[in-house]
Amino acid sequence: MSGCPGSKTIDFSEKTIQEGGEEGKRPSQLRQWPIQMHLVSPQAPYFQGKDILLAADCSAFALGDFHKDYLKGKSIGIACPKLDSDQEVYIEKIKSLIDDAKINTLTVMIMQVPCCFGLAQIAKEGAEKASRKIPVKQVVVGLEGNILSEEWI
Amino acid sequence: MENVLNKEIKEIIDACPEVGRILDEYGIGCVPCSVGSCLLKDVVGIHSLDPEQEATLMYRIEKAVYPGRNVAKPVVDKTKKTAPKKISYSPPVKKLVEEHVLIKRLLALIPAIVDYIEGSAKVDKELILNCVDFIRTYADKYHHMKEEDILFKYVDEKAEVIQVMYKDHDTGRAHIRQVVEGAEKGNKSQIKEHLFAYRDLLTQHIKKEDEILYPWIDRQLSMEQVGEMFRKCNEADALVGDELPRKYERFIIELEEKFLQEVAK
Ligand code: SF4
Ligand SMILES: [Fe+2]
Ligand SMILES: [Fe+2]
Repeated sequence: MSGCPGSKTIDFSEKTIQEGGEEGKRPSQLRQWPIQMHLVSPQAPYFQGKDILLAADCSAFALGDFHKDYLKGKSIGIACPKLDSDQEVYIEKIKSLIDDAKINTLTVMIMQVPCCFGLAQIAKEGAEKASRKIPVKQVVVGLEGNILSEEWI
Repeated sequence: MENVLNKEIKEIIDACPEVGRILDEYGIGCVPCSVGSCLLKDVVGIHSLDPEQEATLMYRIEKAVYPGRNVAKPVVDKTKKTAPKKISYSPPVKKLVEEHVLIKRLLALIPAIVDYIEGSAKVDKELILNCVDFIRTYADKYHHMKEEDILFKYVDEKAEVIQVMYKDHDTGRAHIRQVVEGAEKGNKSQIKEHLFAYRDLLTQHIKKEDEILYPWIDRQLSMEQVGEMFRKCNEADALVGDELPRKYERFIIELEEKFLQEVAK
């Protein structure tokens, strides 16, 4: 493989400690379909006035408590800033979510690998293009499912 | 330890001044606080120290209060370094922090203004009343009202910290009434006393808000609440219009031009 840290092979199967319980059912907090950013429409009723999570494809797999701590109470769009095509569409959709769907807030969740920051950039550009202003938060998830940072952008 | 945690901080410090010194080392300045009725557990909780620091702090306090007691010393992992936390304010709170900047610029001018008043034959009533107008309109109506009507509503208003903030706002208003009275009567020492008292009060007050209260409130807010608060603050700002903050910024710039040059001379 080339030097791209986003696709470097890392095995931490040994390290994954079993903190937290396995018992009990964990209900899904997903309240909509579809979720992929090319498939969703800003006109969808589940976006109107809501708090939106724009999540990198990989984040939900890395973060153990994704549903409980981040998806709960929010509507979602997912995308990969490295592999998806036509990403200008994403910028327009974010602008429209802010201006037309009048969303309340935007949380953009990315992985710690450098190429994933492209998604935060997309969120920023969409928010800058919009005429309404809303709070935008960036959450960075580590490869082992830890939260590395949460900050307002 | 239980009962110490539920005691008022002033009571603890009065009985054992060493606790005040220990808190001070951790950047927790309870000693000069005007009220001091916060409970020790809230005082420690609100400062969000990292767990190890907090354990060490509690150990030292317990040791100071009960020297005879056998207290287990917490194990501190020195290899674990915690990076100094940079405060990331939510957008509505950040706006309030930015408003503090203009207020602090006036506070910084107070000594020069007082010198000028003392040095002139007749009290410049217009100057004093213009400063009072800034304080009453920008600092109080525009800024403090957003805190009181919006921000504080998101936390338990009965919490001691919030009560302290309300009390500071009221004390500030009382000082300003005295300043006005001094200006009406041409009483220079009354103006001086209360302008300086206002300056000291607000300097501490703003520091407490920026460094402790605001981050504490931010930590408790959900995304939904942040969005709602952002909207409410923007609505409150829209109601007074863009011109008001601009006008008061111009006022401060003019004062700075007048008084900072005097100081330079
Ligand atoms: S850019 Fe982000 S979402 Fe895409 S593959 Fe890399 S880590 Fe996953
Ligand atoms: Fe205040
Ligand atoms: Fe304030």
